[in-house]
Amino acid sequence: MVKIEKTKFYGIFKVDGNLATVNLVPGEKVYGEELIKEKNVEYRYWDYWRSKPAAAIKNGLKILPLEKGMNILYLGIANGTTASHFSDIIGKEGLIYGVEISERPFRELLPLVEKRGNIVPILSNARKPEDYEDQILGKVDLVYEDVATEDQVEILIRNCEKFLKSEGFAIIAIKSQSIDVTRPPKEVYDECLQKLEKHFEILDKVKLDPYEKFHLFVVMKSKK
Amino acid sequence: MALYKVKTFIGIFTIDDNKKVISFSPFPKDPILVASRLKDEVDEAPEEIENFLKENLLRYALEYKFVKNQAEFNQFLTEVNSEIAKQKIKEIVSRDVLIIHTNNAIEELDKSINIFIERLREWYSLHFPEMDKVIEDHKTFAKLIEKFGNRKDIDDKRLNQFKEKSMGIDFTQEDIETVKALATTIIKLYELRERFSNYLSKLLKEIAPNFSVIAGDVVAAKLIAKAGGLERLARMPSSTIQLLGAEKALFRFLKSKEKFKSPKFGLIYNHPLIKSAPKDKQGKIARLLSSKLSIAARIDYYSKEYKADKMKKELEERVKEVLVAKK
Ligand SMILES: C[S@@+](CC[C@H](N)C(=O)[O-])C[C@H]1O[C@@H](n2cnc3c(N)ncnc32)[C@H](O)[C@@H]1O
Repeated sequence: MVKIEKTKFYGIFKVDGNLATVNLVPGEKVYGEELIKEKNVEYRYWDYWRSKPAAAIKNGLKILPLEKGMNILYLGIANGTTASHFSDIIGKEGLIYGVEISERPFRELLPLVEKRGNIVPILSNARKPEDYEDQILGKVDLVYEDVATEDQVEILIRNCEKFLKSEGFAIIAIKSQSIDVTRPPKEVYDECLQKLEKHFEILDKVKLDPYEKFHLFVVMKSKK
Repeated sequence: MALYKVKTFIGIFTIDDNKKVISFSPFPKDPILVASRLKDEVDEAPEEIENFLKENLLRYALEYKFVKNQAEFNQFLTEVNSEIAKQKIKEIVSRDVLIIHTNNAIEELDKSINIFIERLREWYSLHFPEMDKVIEDHKTFAKLIEKFGNRKDIDDKRLNQFKEKSMGIDFTQEDIETVKALATTIIKLYELRERFSNYLSKLLKEIAPNFSVIAGDVVAAKLIAKAGGLERLARMPSSTIQLLGAEKALFRFLKSKEKFKSPKFGLIYNHPLIKSAPKDKQGKIARLLSSKLSIAARIDYYSKEYKADKMKKELEERVKEVLVAKK
């Protein structure tokens, strides 16, 4: 008998102790994760070694603003490992606009989006929101950013100014090593948080060790 | 009252100043067609009107029965954008990727050749140990074995004196044929390398005519490969080009500032202007070289207008000044 428990987060379960979401496309794996069927519902394990929100939950994150029907702008979607779980959670009525600069992971993303029908793939540079504004229909409820670049905080802020609803949410995975390898992570995080606090209220933050080294996962709400 | 035509991914709306939709002509429900229709230019409508339509597009799509429900709307939006992306990928992938693959294949061939040559030398030394020292050139070494096989049959004026009194053991016909097969393969790898390297020169002339003249083919290809393409190179500051390929040393330096020296150059070290210069002038020359390289990369990326001869002369003159200066 498989043991299924709810978590405090919408659409996220514990299946035999593993984090999991309900597969939007039953039978389809995205990155080699395990599929478990119980009472006609198929669950997909959410690997916290491969996906930062899962690692954040594992490390005690308390707030994760994901809900059915949400519109999300995802910066640095890569091949969609994490986005596939978001896609499970928000369902067919929700939408993820996934921006990725590099065509290599992006190629792997394309088959995924066609099957799921709720991820809009956008091959663009997140530093240039003007380039993809035509593709985004209206404002979004959440901007999620995982680009690992030196200017990642600035990129997030610019995109939120353009695309985030008032009092919408923003999540960033700060990678201290990409911002400045020579300084201790704590110093880098503090500086980033200071910049972010001008625009957002910080709702929650956790470090992602040991699953992702030198990462701080921050959940925020827009002050505007 | 002004009327605007606004194109969306479900079709073309005619809408007035008061945001009243006058008419709607839907696109056929075919993502490939829609993706290409979206590329055609139309007159711009005021941003406010465009945003209004975007935000209410789902409502209109339902009203005009373009889709049955939101899930179908989302699915179609996804497919159209996927198509747009595919077309974009085709445009992005440019020929400089060929330089990267060819360069990397040559580097891999060099590694393989080295491994096989070492094996061949050790192996054949069982039979004719004296040859290892006398024939230093790897290709010649392999060629002699391929041509003659057995030590007794070798006819080469550098080796003839050692043949009779060699300390090596005798090889059977099969022993010889086997080691010969390895020699033949190594020679084939050399031929492949030669072919790749000619092809690489051609590519560089086509894609990076200025950059490759200033850098030399070998360094040019390595820099383009390391940067990940000509476009990235063209966007790099010259100080980054100067250190491309020295990331490890740079990282070591940044981590423990006292113990290690800051690297002065990466891959460009292999450029003759730097390699041949005295140590205390190399840093300065590296700076001159990388700033010229950066200009050349930009010209190649944006226009390809050929200016390399003039640039090369300027560079060489500046380097001369540096070399004669007292420091
Ligand atoms: C750490 S990976 C993201 C992994 C992904 N979020 C996941 O969990 O499945 C970072 C991604 O950001 C992309 N990226 C970096 N700079 C970018 C930019 N300026 N615009 C868009 N994407 C960018 C990289 O190409 C890379 O795929």
